[in-house]
Amino acid sequence: MAEASHAAALEAHWQGGVSPFGATWQKTMMWIFIVTDGLLFSGLLCGYGFLRMASPLPWPDRSEVFSIPFIALMTFILITSSMFMATAVLAARLGDMRKALRNLIYTIVGGAAFLGCQAVEWSHLIHDGARLTSNPWGAPQFGASFFLLTGFHGSHVFSGLVILIITAIRTAQRKTPPQGIEMAGLYWHFVDLVWVFIFTLFYLV
Amino acid sequence: MSAGSEGNPYKVYWVTWVILLVITVAMLLAEELHMPRWFLLLFLLAFMMVKATMIGGNFMHLRHEHRQMAWMVATGLLVTSLILFAFITPETWNVLARSAR
Repeated sequence: MAEASHAAALEAHWQGGVSPFGATWQKTMMWIFIVTDGLLFSGLLCGYGFLRMASPLPWPDRSEVFSIPFIALMTFILITSSMFMATAVLAARLGDMRKALRNLIYTIVGGAAFLGCQAVEWSHLIHDGARLTSNPWGAPQFGASFFLLTGFHGSHVFSGLVILIITAIRTAQRKTPPQGIEMAGLYWHFVDLVWVFIFTLFYLV
Repeated sequence: MSAGSEGNPYKVYWVTWVILLVITVAMLLAEELHMPRWFLLLFLLAFMMVKATMIGGNFMHLRHEHRQMAWMVATGLLVTSLILFAFITPETWNVLARSAR
């Protein structure tokens, strides 16, 4: 009897039910995408760890290469935009689409500011001599690790911005349901989440 | 929403934001405290995980999702990352040993 009810419960979740994991298929698929995309960054960070630990030359001193207050500002901007995004999602869920749109716009401004800061950071490093295969500060693998990690993250921020702009336009036209804003929000928070790891493992450690 | 945020449903996001900023500042200032390197690493990694959990739990609402969903995400990411790390780390010692010869 217990087995039968267990099987019925499994079937409810897995046999084509309308809400596997108690969520819509869109949300479930978004989470699966986030896990797979997270594994991409996990691989990149492990690769960076490998290059850094296996390097016979000393790894560049972070305070010599980066402006840490500037990186802190970038982190502040991204965390703040994530907070606005969470607010937009809840506002949409509560039916306050004007508030949702306003917070979506704040999120977009934050994302654009972050990308601008990243462009400034890249320009400074390139101007100072950082290249994919060499740099003036130490282990040559530093350049490849930096540009690959922050470049991949920046491309995610850029695609997130495109998604958010489309979502904002469609929200203004009342074409996006609350769930659409929630999906865009999940992706944006993921971008913020990845930055937490890059910020700690690349800029602070 | 938790009981504390029933009055203002958005409060949880503001509180999370403030905590994330405080943790970030603490991480930035940690080096100034001249603590042992191993402790600094532990401190930074622990707070990195706290920040990731807060973003996943509160901003991405994972703590309100079905428990199986949260397990799928957390174990999927953590276990695979640990496997990757466990296979890669020993090889760095081999590479270092070869380049030292």
